[in-house]
Amino acid sequence: MRGWDLVVQPFSYDTAFVFMEEIMQKFFFNKRLIIVLVVLIISFVLIAFSITVRNNKATPPLVQQVGNDAAGVVDRVVAYPAKGLKGAFSSFSDLMNTYSENQRLKGQVDSLAVQKVTNQTLEKENQKLKQQLKLNKTLTDYETISASVLTRSPSAWQNQVIISKGSLSGIKKNAAVMSKKGLVGRVTEVNKTNSKVELLSTTNDSANRFATQVMTKKNKVVNGLITGYNGDSNYLIMGQITVKTGMEKGDRVITSGLGGNSPKGLYVGTVAKVEEDDYGLASKVYVKPAADFTDLDVVTVAKRVD
Amino acid sequence: MRISKMRYFFPIGLFIALFLDGVLSQVFAGTMFTPSLAIESRIVLLWIVMAVCFGKIDHIILWTVLAGLVFDLYYTGIIGAFVVIMPLIVYLTKLMYRFFTPSFIVVLLIYLIDITVATVVFYWINLLIGFTNVSMAGFIGLSLGSTLAYNLAVFVLLYFPLQRFFESFSR
Repeated sequence: MRGWDLVVQPFSYDTAFVFMEEIMQKFFFNKRLIIVLVVLIISFVLIAFSITVRNNKATPPLVQQVGNDAAGVVDRVVAYPAKGLKGAFSSFSDLMNTYSENQRLKGQVDSLAVQKVTNQTLEKENQKLKQQLKLNKTLTDYETISASVLTRSPSAWQNQVIISKGSLSGIKKNAAVMSKKGLVGRVTEVNKTNSKVELLSTTNDSANRFATQVMTKKNKVVNGLITGYNGDSNYLIMGQITVKTGMEKGDRVITSGLGGNSPKGLYVGTVAKVEEDDYGLASKVYVKPAADFTDLDVVTVAKRVD
Repeated sequence: MRISKMRYFFPIGLFIALFLDGVLSQVFAGTMFTPSLAIESRIVLLWIVMAVCFGKIDHIILWTVLAGLVFDLYYTGIIGAFVVIMPLIVYLTKLMYRFFTPSFIVVLLIYLIDITVATVVFYWINLLIGFTNVSMAGFIGLSLGSTLAYNLAVFVLLYFPLQRFFESFSR
């Protein structure tokens, strides 16, 4: 009798306990499921909303702008020591190879002076001719706004940097952005005091395309669009080519100014190879970009004046 | 009741870590984003995981939601990714941490699982909205492996200072 007590008594307690717990768990499980679903739905709605804003609106909503501007201010404070440290390192490495560089550059400086004078005379002549033709603004005219790069998205999928100027300095959405060497990207989001720049190295499907042209050796022009980026070879892909023939490796590629966002004559890079399209109809041109997308300190935003 | 100093230190450190990620990505962009690898710096997740494991922090979910919102607003412009991932990491860490006694190896493993979850979810969201077209295999080779290696190194460097910090201020 006593042994039976010992065995069964705890067992019956246990079953009751397990039963209660099952009910409780079911309740909590349901509650948790609902929370998870609600969170997922909210998240999807937010993502859909921000993509719509990104694609269609000139500026994000005011709340978003204020948040971004506040974040920008804090970021400047955090970035300051890190940038200083980087500056110290790079000036040290600069110092190490100053002599050889100086020797090399001396040779280039003399020829540059000649080029500069020619450039100035041509520019003046150009202005006079434009005045005679009563041609005040052409596609090549643009104002530049220089900005420093605050930070880069710590993300493998957004090739995006944030620059230190915004709508207060006159930056517009979709404006072309250049480094010292060439075109690097376009402005995708404008806040009051900072803006986001999507680099050309992005693989985003909905990225806005730059209208470009190849200047061939025989003074012909081939128009096209930058349609993509090949990450493995670091080449930009130029598609929608108007004519196939005449392009050679090393031909310069510039923006054509068509399409209304970028001015004409921003340097993009050089032709690396010309290839048939997948269907053999049009050709694809691989462009070696002049700018290094991973080494950006100061950028220039080109603002069209027309 | 004595007010813990952690009340101020945790959010300040959280946002410093958040912006430090971006600054490091910018300064070392040449080595972190090459054709063969893409490293995502996630010091902010290290801060959160260490806080969950060794600190006593009030409203940690609220703070992480806020940090996730700032991440989405400021870095990507796509709201809704990290705003969910960051609290998810807190929840996951709490869930796993319950079963173990704290040690270097245990927290390391938890942190690696967290990084993997965060990276995979973030990749999946970006795949869904067409920001990338890299295949799953490509993603593992390009981003996941290098991200884990980098964050492991950061973890080894910062584990003991952060552990001491959280333990001494959470008493």
